[in-house]
Amino acid sequence: MSTSTSHSPSLAPDRAAAPVRTAVPRHYGRYIYLAINTAILVFLLAPIAVVVVFALNPTPFIQFPPVGVSLRWFEKFFASRDFMQALGFSLEVAVLTTVSATVLGASAALALARGNLPGTRLIVATMLSPLMLPAILTGLALFQTYVLLDVGRPTWGLVAGHTLVTLPYVVRTTLAVLHNFDTRLEEAAQNLGASPLRTFFEVTLPLIKPGVLAGAIFAFIVSFDQFPVSLFLVSPGNETLPVTLFNYLKFDLDGTIGAASVVSIVLAFVVVIGLDRTVGLRSYVKL
Amino acid sequence: MSASIEIAGVSKVYDGGVRAVDAVAMDIRQGEFFSLLGPSGCGKTTTLRMIAGFEIPSAGAIRVDGADITHVPAHKRDMGMVFQNYALFPHRTVAENVAFGLRMRGLDKASIATKVKAALAMVELSGLEDRRPTQLSGGQQQRVALARAIVIAPRVLLCDEPLGALDKKLRQQMQFELKQLQKKLGLTLVFVTHDQEEALAMSDRIAVMNGGRVEQVGTPAEIYNQPTTRFVADFIGDTNIFRGERTTTSAGGPALDVGKGLILALPASIETQGTGVLSVALRPEKIRLSPADGTAASARGVVENTNFLGGAVLYRITLGGGHRVLVQQPNAGTDRLFVPGNGVTLDWTPADLVVLKD
Amino acid sequence: MMKALGSSRLNRRRFLTASASLGIGTIAAPYVARADDPTLRITGWGGKWGEVMKAEIGPAFESEFKCKLQTDSAFPYLPKLQASSRSAPIYDVLHTNSNEQWAAAEMGLVEPKIDPKLVPNLADVYPYAISDKIVGVSIFTSAIGLGMRTDKGYSGVTSWKELWDAKYNGVRGGYVIPVNSLGQAFLMMCGTLFGKGQLDLDAAYAALEKLKPIKIVDFTGAMEKMLLSGEVGLCVIHDSGIYRYDGQNQPTDFVSPSEGVLSLEQVLTITPGSKMKELANAYVNYMLRPEVQKRLAETVWYSPANRKVKLDPKYDAKLLTTPEKVSKLIQVDWKWYNERKDEIDQRVNRIFRA
Repeated sequence: MSTSTSHSPSLAPDRAAAPVRTAVPRHYGRYIYLAINTAILVFLLAPIAVVVVFALNPTPFIQFPPVGVSLRWFEKFFASRDFMQALGFSLEVAVLTTVSATVLGASAALALARGNLPGTRLIVATMLSPLMLPAILTGLALFQTYVLLDVGRPTWGLVAGHTLVTLPYVVRTTLAVLHNFDTRLEEAAQNLGASPLRTFFEVTLPLIKPGVLAGAIFAFIVSFDQFPVSLFLVSPGNETLPVTLFNYLKFDLDGTIGAASVVSIVLAFVVVIGLDRTVGLRSYVKL
Repeated sequence: MSASIEIAGVSKVYDGGVRAVDAVAMDIRQGEFFSLLGPSGCGKTTTLRMIAGFEIPSAGAIRVDGADITHVPAHKRDMGMVFQNYALFPHRTVAENVAFGLRMRGLDKASIATKVKAALAMVELSGLEDRRPTQLSGGQQQRVALARAIVIAPRVLLCDEPLGALDKKLRQQMQFELKQLQKKLGLTLVFVTHDQEEALAMSDRIAVMNGGRVEQVGTPAEIYNQPTTRFVADFIGDTNIFRGERTTTSAGGPALDVGKGLILALPASIETQGTGVLSVALRPEKIRLSPADGTAASARGVVENTNFLGGAVLYRITLGGGHRVLVQQPNAGTDRLFVPGNGVTLDWTPADLVVLKD
Repeated sequence: MMKALGSSRLNRRRFLTASASLGIGTIAAPYVARADDPTLRITGWGGKWGEVMKAEIGPAFESEFKCKLQTDSAFPYLPKLQASSRSAPIYDVLHTNSNEQWAAAEMGLVEPKIDPKLVPNLADVYPYAISDKIVGVSIFTSAIGLGMRTDKGYSGVTSWKELWDAKYNGVRGGYVIPVNSLGQAFLMMCGTLFGKGQLDLDAAYAALEKLKPIKIVDFTGAMEKMLLSGEVGLCVIHDSGIYRYDGQNQPTDFVSPSEGVLSLEQVLTITPGSKMKELANAYVNYMLRPEVQKRLAETVWYSPANRKVKLDPKYDAKLLTTPEKVSKLIQVDWKWYNERKDEIDQRVNRIFRA
C-alpha cells in the first residue's frame, strides 16, 4: 500500500510522456500490429470460409469461384436420418462427457490443490497424460479393454473415452484458478459459520467457476468434434457425427460434408454463447 | 456475550518437526484487548489460528469460558476474525459480505438487513452497500472486514495484523477506532501484530512471543518498564543492555562488573551476596545527560552521534571504557543540545536498571 | 434393450446385462448383441450401398432367417477385428476389399475359403470370384480402368499407356498408393505394362516416376469429384465411380483399356471364431442370390459375381456380365503385394514426395 503510493507519483509523468516521445514509431507499430492481427484472423477463419462456400455451392464438388448459392446440401443433411441420428448422438455424448469431465476434473483439481496428497505432481502428470498419448491409441486401448471385459461398445464406454481425453482440460483450467485462490477466503467463510460444504458452494465454487466453466467448454467442444477416440468406440447404429462424416467421405464427397461442418460450428458457437448467457462466463472472465 | 479464553500448554508441531508454537499458556480475560506481539515466525499467528480453529494444536487445550473447544471445528466457534488483507469475498457486494455470517446463522432477511445497516453505520460505510470490495480503498475494505466480523456479535474478535496494509496515518486512525469499538462493545479481542508501538498503544495486556514461546505477559507499562527477558527488553523500544559478573560496590551494595572499567550499581532490591553472570537493561530516557563538568556522574563519555527526533533527542555516546550507550533526552531547546564531540556525564538511578533473565 | 427384456429368450446373463445398463440410467447403451443371440454381425459400406442394405436387403434377410443383422459401417474394420478376441470376434462376416481380406487371412482373422457345401450359390459364380487370388468369395467386382472428360477433345483413349502422354500433364489423376486399393492395383498394372509382369516392381517404379506431374488423392470419392469438376482430365478410376453419375449428363466416361481392367473385388469372409457360422454362411449365400445381386448391382454399378444374374439392358451394357467381358479382368496378387507393402510404401512415398 505505502509502497504503491510512494511509487505512483514518479511513474505517472512517465506514462503521460510516453505517447509524445514515441509518437512516430507508434504510428508504424499500430499498422504492423493491425497487419499481424489481420493475418492471424484470416489464417484462423479461412478454413471456415472455405467450408461455408463449399456448403452453399450447388455443385457436388468443390469449385472456385462458386457457381451459386443453394441450400441443397443443408436440405440433404437435415433430411438424412443417419446424419440426424449422428448429430443427436454426438450432442448426447458431448453433454454427458461435459458433465462427467467437469465434475470429475474439478473435484480432482480441488483434491490435488488442497488435499495435501503424496505424489501430487505425479498424479497431475498422470491426469494430463491422455493429452500426450495419440488419441487413436486411447480409443484402441479402451476398445480392447471393453472387448476383454465383454461389455460390447456401450454409450457409457464412449462417454468414458471422451471423458478421459477431456478431463485434462478441466483439471488444467481448474488448477490454474486454484493456484491463485486465496484460501483465507474459505477460512473467512468458516469463521463466519459456514460448514465446509456450505463454504464450497458459497465461496470456493463461485470463485473457481471461470476455470471450471472454461474447462467445461473445452470438454464439450473436444467431445463434440472428437474423432480418433470415437473411431473404435462407436457401435453400429450409434455413430457420432465426426465418424459418420468420415465414413460418408469415403463414398460421397459433396457439399453435405460442408453443411454438416457449418452446423457443427454453429452448434459449438451456440453452446459457448449459451453458457455465457446462462452462467455468466463474461462477468467472471474479468475477475 | 464476550468470553474469556484459556490457552493451556498449547503446542503446534508441523510435519517435518517444525515446532511453531511451544507450550504456550496464557489467560485472556473477558472484554480484554489482548495482543500477541513478536517478530515474524514467532508463532503468534499460529496461536491465533488455533484459537480460530484453522489449526489443531498438537498438544494442550484451548478453553472458552471454561469449555474445551480444542477440537471444535472453526465454523462452530462463534468467533469473528479480521484477516490480514481482509479476505473479503470478491464475488459479493459490501452488504453481502457483511450479511454472510448472519445468513449462515439462518436469520431472516429483515433482521439481516437491519443488522447489516447498523454494522455499516458503525464503521461509517453507509451508502457503499452495493459496491464490490475491489472498488473500495484499503481503509474502507478494512472497515468492511471489521463490520463483517462484529455483526455476528462474536464471543471473541480475532485480528491478524489487520492494520498492516494501511499507511501510517490511516493506521493510527484505525487503531483509535478499533480500540473505541472494542471498548464500546466490551469485546474480548485478540490482536496479532509485529508492531510494538501498535501493541503498546492499544492493548490492555500483551503477550510477547519469540521462537514459539511466550516471553512475557503483562500490561504495556509492565512490558516496557519491567521486561523480564533480554528478548523483551530488546524487542520493545530502544534499550541499553549490559552483561557482566556480579560484584559489590565500594559501599558494599550489589553491583555488576560489565568490563572495560565500568561497574554498575544494582537496585537495592537485589541481594548483595550474589555471584554469577547477569544482564541488565537501562532505557535510554532513564539516563540524564549533563555537560562534562557536571558533578553527579554514573559514567562519563563523548557524544558520537546526535539524532534529533523533534520532541526528543537521541544520543549515541561512547563511554570512557568503550561501551556504547543510547541516551534519550526531552528536547529542552537548541542551546541545551549536545553535538558530536561534546564530553558529557551520564547519570541514572540504580533502581532504573532492570535485571533480565537470559 | 426393452425388446430384449420382453423377449422370451431372456436368460440370466442377458438379464444382468440389461439391469446393469438400466442402472446406469440415461447413459445406458443400446443393447449390444452377444454371441448367443441370433444376431449376425457384419461390416458393410455406407453410401448408396448402405441405404439399400438398410432399407431392403438387410430387413429381408432378417425376416427370412429370423435374426438381427448388425452392420458396422464405421471404418476401420480390420484393426477392430484384430483388437477383438479370436474366439469371440466382433464380426461374423467381414465385407471389405480383397487386399484387406488378404491381410486378415494372413493374420488368421478370417477363414481363407468358403465351403461350397454350405454356400450352394458358390457353384454359380464366375471363376475369378473364388480364384486363388481371392480369400473367401468375391460377391461383386468393379473394373479399374481410366476415367476421362469427354468435353476436352481427348478422343480415342484405348490404352493404359496414354496416361503417360504429356498432353495430360496437369490434368492427370492418381492415388496415394499406401492408402488406396486403386493406387495399389494400378502399381501392379504398371509392372505388366512396362515390365515383365505384375511383379516387376522396378519397372513399375520407373513408370510411376514418369507419370509426374500427377494429382494424387487418398479417397476414391475425391477423384470422382475432381473429374466432375474438370480439375482432372484423365485418371485411374473404377467403373462404378463413373457410372454412378449415369443420367446426370456429366461430361465423363469410363475407358476400359485394351490391356485389360483391374478388378476391385467386394469380398466376404467368415471369421473362424464366429458363433454364428450357420447364419454367416446363409448370409454369404443370400448375398450371392441372383435377385439380391441384381438389386445391388443396379444400385451401385458393381458387376455381380453370379453368372445367372440378368441385369436390365442399361446395366448389362456396361457391367461385366458375360464370360467374355469377365475375362478382361486382371486380378492382383494381394498376398504377394501385402508381403512387400512396407517396402513399396516407402518407395512410392519417395517417388511422389520428390
